Amino acid sequence: MSITDQLLAALLLYGLPVLFGVVVIASVGVPFPVSLMLVAAGSFAEQGYMKLWQIIMVASMAAILGDQIGYGLSRWGGRRLILRIGRRLGGESKIKKAEALSKRWGGAGIFLSRWLVTELGPWLNVTSGIARYPWRRFVFWDVLGEVLWVVLYVTLGYIFSDRVQAIADILGNLAWVILGLIIATILGWKLFRYFRPVRVSAEKTAVLLDTAS
Amino acid sequence: MKNLGWRQWALVLAFLSVLCFTGFFAVRTVRDAIYWHHHQDEPIRGWMSVGYIAHSYHVPPHVLYQALGLPHKPPDKRPLREIARGQNRPMDEVRAVLMDAIVHARPPYPPPPPPPPPADPGRSP
Repeated sequence: MSITDQLLAALLLYGLPVLFGVVVIASVGVPFPVSLMLVAAGSFAEQGYMKLWQIIMVASMAAILGDQIGYGLSRWGGRRLILRIGRRLGGESKIKKAEALSKRWGGAGIFLSRWLVTELGPWLNVTSGIARYPWRRFVFWDVLGEVLWVVLYVTLGYIFSDRVQAIADILGNLAWVILGLIIATILGWKLFRYFRPVRVSAEKTAVLLDTAS
Repeated sequence: MKNLGWRQWALVLAFLSVLCFTGFFAVRTVRDAIYWHHHQDEPIRGWMSVGYIAHSYHVPPHVLYQALGLPHKPPDKRPLREIARGQNRPMDEVRAVLMDAIVHARPPYPPPPPPPPPADPGRSP
């Protein structure tokens, strides 16, 4: 039996404790089929094996706890290591730049990586911790995104309760498509900026003509 | 036309790779969506309970419990793999038994009879 089948069988037999454990471990970064677990839990709720509100509560708390572990470890453990290596390699300015970027755009990234591009979630926890993204703001975006993610997937499982495997397959592929589109847009924008013709303003043209004459 | 340095070539290469990657998963998503739109039934897997299979195949659960020789009340939550192990049968055989029961519980066969009343241990038959 595959690991996915074993986890689903355990969820069916032992319910919420298994769901809690799997979601915490997956949020820290272990690649468990956690979306499938949530869809399956929604389906089990529809069939009366589990309670919907309990699933949403337990899975949300587990996801938030897992994210906090990832953030905490990288902020108070990983940061020292990164700074020491950075100082030796002369990369302190880059770390500061990453911190500034994270502070400016971190909220949207944290929120979207909780429910839309979930593959990036554990990575964002680590980079937010290393870049010292403010903890209160991290918790705010984290809670918002994780609750949305859990409600979305569990509700899908509840609605399409007779198609757990099908929904999970489609959602799994769709997540990669979204991630690919985001990266393609960023790379495409960089290429566009390189290839677009340079516009010279009227003032600059006048200065250039003056200096030429 | 600007001359491309190695950084720009790397960027173009990365962009094309990401497009291929995205296209691959987009095709898979559409293919799966079309497949599941036309196929109602999921393949029976070891993690599924008898109740889930009945729910997924839209047949009364007692028909499947009966086919496996299990009481329908209280509902058995065990995954199919455990039931097969408990009955000392291979998974393929259990799957075949269930598929046979499912086929006979659907049209053109007549609808299955209602579930028998649960056995009362206090009364003799």
